[in-house]
Amino acid sequence: MTEQQNNPVETENPAAPEDQTAETVVDIASLQAEIEQLQQQLADAKDQTLRTAAEAQNVRRRAEKDVESAHKYALEKFASSVLSVADNLERTLEVADRSNEALKPLTEGVELTSKTLFDALTRFHVEQVDPLGAPFDPAFHEAVAMVENPAAEPNTVLQVMQKGYTLNGRLLRAAMVVVAKGTPKKIDENA
Amino acid sequence: MAKIIGIDLGTTNSCVAILDGDKVKVLENAEGARTTPSIVAYTDSDEILVGQSAKRQAVTNPKNTLYAVKRLIGRRFGDDVVQKDIEMVPYKIVKADNGDAWVEVSGRKMAPPQISAEVLKKMKKTAEDYLGEEIKEAVITVPAYFNDSQRQATKDAGRIAGLDVKRIINEPTAAALAYGIDKEGGDRVIAVYDLGGGTFDISIIEIADVDGEKQFEVLSTNGDTFLGGEDFDMILINYLADEFKKDTGIDLKGDPLAVQRLKEAAEKSKIELSSSQQTEVNLPYITADASGPKHMVVKLTRAKLEALVEHLVDRSMEPLRMALKDAGKSVKEIDEIILVGGQTRMPMVQKKVADFFGKEARKDVNPDEAVAVGAAIQGAVLGGDVKDVLLLDVTPLTLGIETMGGVATPLIDKNTTIPTKKSQVFSTADDNQTAVTIHVVQGERKQAAQNKSLGRFDLADIPPSPRGLPQIEVTFDIDANGILNVSAKDKATNKQQSIRITASSGLSEDEIKKMVRDAEANAETDKKFVELAQARNTAEGLVHASQKTLLEAGDKVTADERSAIEAAIKQVEEVVKGEDQAAIEAATQKLTEASSGLAQKMYAEAQAKSQAGGESQNTGTNNKDDVVDAEFEEVKDEPK
Repeated sequence: MTEQQNNPVETENPAAPEDQTAETVVDIASLQAEIEQLQQQLADAKDQTLRTAAEAQNVRRRAEKDVESAHKYALEKFASSVLSVADNLERTLEVADRSNEALKPLTEGVELTSKTLFDALTRFHVEQVDPLGAPFDPAFHEAVAMVENPAAEPNTVLQVMQKGYTLNGRLLRAAMVVVAKGTPKKIDENA
Repeated sequence: MAKIIGIDLGTTNSCVAILDGDKVKVLENAEGARTTPSIVAYTDSDEILVGQSAKRQAVTNPKNTLYAVKRLIGRRFGDDVVQKDIEMVPYKIVKADNGDAWVEVSGRKMAPPQISAEVLKKMKKTAEDYLGEEIKEAVITVPAYFNDSQRQATKDAGRIAGLDVKRIINEPTAAALAYGIDKEGGDRVIAVYDLGGGTFDISIIEIADVDGEKQFEVLSTNGDTFLGGEDFDMILINYLADEFKKDTGIDLKGDPLAVQRLKEAAEKSKIELSSSQQTEVNLPYITADASGPKHMVVKLTRAKLEALVEHLVDRSMEPLRMALKDAGKSVKEIDEIILVGGQTRMPMVQKKVADFFGKEARKDVNPDEAVAVGAAIQGAVLGGDVKDVLLLDVTPLTLGIETMGGVATPLIDKNTTIPTKKSQVFSTADDNQTAVTIHVVQGERKQAAQNKSLGRFDLADIPPSPRGLPQIEVTFDIDANGILNVSAKDKATNKQQSIRITASSGLSEDEIKKMVRDAEANAETDKKFVELAQARNTAEGLVHASQKTLLEAGDKVTADERSAIEAAIKQVEEVVKGEDQAAIEAATQKLTEASSGLAQKMYAEAQAKSQAGGESQNTGTNNKDDVVDAEFEEVKDEPK
C-alpha cells in the first residue's frame, strides 16, 4: 500500500573537498547539457500535449456535429420509404370520381387518411416541394423532359410529375418536373 | 497535422475518405451523400454545377453536361475509345491543338483534367467542411490499366483543384489496402473483382515484401467496360415492362414518370433479393387508360432474377480467365479474392466467383467505398499520421470494486482508452462502521466473486456515523503503462489509503476472451443476481430505517403499531437470508405498509419542527449527485 509521503532527496556525503573540484567542474558541464536536453524534451512534450488537446477539441466538435446531424436526419431512410405512400394517396384522389355518390364515403376516407399522413410529415419537418411555374432549380428539381411551350417562361417548371420532399431543409427526394424549353442560345447547337 | 485525403475518382461516381484517429471515415457531401456523381454541368448563367444537381438538369442541358470524362482523360483524340465515345455522348468531343481529346462547352474548349478538377474540388470541400481545416494534399486512385499520360492527366486535375497529389495509386491496390491485406504476412497474389455501376474490372496483383516494405505489382488486368450494375437493372426494368404489356397491353416505356418509377422499383427489388428469397414490386397508379388507373403488382423471386441476369455474370468469367492467363497464374495460386463495387453484393455473383476460384471471396469492407478507404489509408501512411498517432491501449476488461451484497460495481468500463482516471463516492453499510474494505476486481460478471480479484486494502479510522453518511471517494487511476492505482479517501478526515496493481496481476489474452464470453453467456444469471442483491439491500435498508423510526418515536407509537412493525421486520430479516427474491420483495412491501402510518406521523412532526428552523437530515446521501444511493460498502468487522 503506498501512501502519500515526502521523498527526501538523497544527497551524497560530500567527500574530501579539493579532489572534487575538477570533477565538479566537469559534472556541471554535463549537467548543463542534460538540463538543455531535458528542457528540449519538456518543450516537445508540452507541444505534443497542446496538439493532443487541440485534436481532442476538434474531435469533440466533430462528434457534436455528427450527433446533431444524426438527430436532424435520423428519419431520412424512413421518411424516404413513406414518400411513395404519400404519392399514391394523392394519385388515388386525383383519379377518384367525385360525382359517384356510392364512392363518396371511400373517397372521403382516403382524403382524411391522406391528410393525416401529410400532417404527420409536416410535424416531423418533411416538407413538400411543388415548384409548378417556378424557375427550374436542379438543387431541388429533376428534369425528366424539356418541351417547347411558347406560352411559358423558358427554364420554368411546366409540369410536376412527382412532388419532391425535404427533411429539415435538406433534399429528401427531388421533384420530377418537365421544363419549358429556353430560347436557343447564341452558340450553334449542331453536334 | 495536415491530413491527406483519399479520393476514388470514378467514371460514374466519386467518393472521398480520410483517416480520422484510427478509423477511416467516408465523408458525406453537402447533400448528405457518401458518393458524388462524377458529372459537371455548365449552365446558361455560367454557373458550374457538380454532382447530383448537375445530373438532375442533364435533360435540359445535354450539350453542356459532361459525364464519364474519365473515358477521355489523358487520351489522344484519335484513340479508339474516344472515337467510340463521340457517338455515345451528347456533348462535343474535339481535338486539342496538341492532339489530345478535349471537350467543347458553349464554344469554349476545355481539357478533361479541368472538368475532373471540378469534381475533385467538390470532394476537397466535402473534406474541409468536415474537418474544419484546409486540405492541400490527396491520394487519388486510377484504374490499373491507366498509362502514364492518363495518370499524369489525373494528377493535373488534382493540381487544378488545388490539391498536391502525393500519389496516384491503382484502384485494386487501394482495395487491397482497405482489406488490410498488406498487413498479412508473406508474399501474396490477389485477384480484385470489381463490378461497379457501369464497368467490370479484374486485376491480378502481387504483394511482395521488399526490404521490409510492401510492394504492389499489377500482374495483369482485364474487364468489360460495358458490364455493370446498371445492365442488371435494365434487364429487370425490361422484364417488368414486358410483363405489364402482356397483362394490360400498355407499353410503359413511353412514359418518363412510369419509367423512372420502374427504374427505382427495379433497383430496390434487385437489392432486396440479395437478402430475401422473394419480393414484390408494388406500383399503384403506374399508368392509366380509358378504363381507369392501372396498378403494377409483380412477385419476384431470387431464382427468377438470377435466371434473368445469369448471362451477365457469366460474361465476367471470360475476362477472369484471360487475366489469370496473362498473369501466368493458375487458380490455385491466387491467395485472396476481394470484391469491389456494389453489384458484388448479389449472392449469385459471390457464388460464381467463389466457384471459379475454389474459395470464398473477402467481402467485409463496403464494396462501394473500399477504393476510397484504401486511398485514405495510403494518404495517412504518406502523411505520417500512422506513425504520429500514439497507439493508445485500452483496458480490456471492466475494473471495479465489490459493494454491498457481493455486487461488482464498475468504475472503469472495458475498452476505455488509457491513461484514464475515474472517481466515485461510496459510503458505509452500517451505523458506526469505522473501516471499509476496497476489494478491486476485474471482469464483466455482476457478481464480484465471479471476477478476478486484483487486490484489496482497508481504509480505517472512519469517524463513527450513521450508515450512508460518510463519503469515501474511491479513485481508479491507470497510467500509460497500464499500472492501476486505486485509492480510497475519507472526504471528512482526508485520510487516504491506496494500492498499486501492475499489469501482470491481471488476466492473459485468452482469459480475457473467456471472461467476455462467459459474461455474455451468463447475462441472465447475472441479471437475477443483481436484482436479488438489490432486493436484499432495499430490504435491509428499510429494516434499519424502520428500527430507527421506532426508536425515535418512543412512546408516540401505539402498541399495535409497534407489534405490527416488529413482526414485519422479523419476517424481512428471515427471508433476506434466502434466495427468494419475490419473498423478499413481498416482505419488504409488508414492512413498508406497516410502518407507513408511523412514518407519516413522524414526518408531520418533523415538518412542524423544521418550520421552526430545524435542519434537514440525510445530508450525506441526498444532496451529492455522485453518491450512488443504493451502493454501500460491504462491512468487514476486522480490517484485513
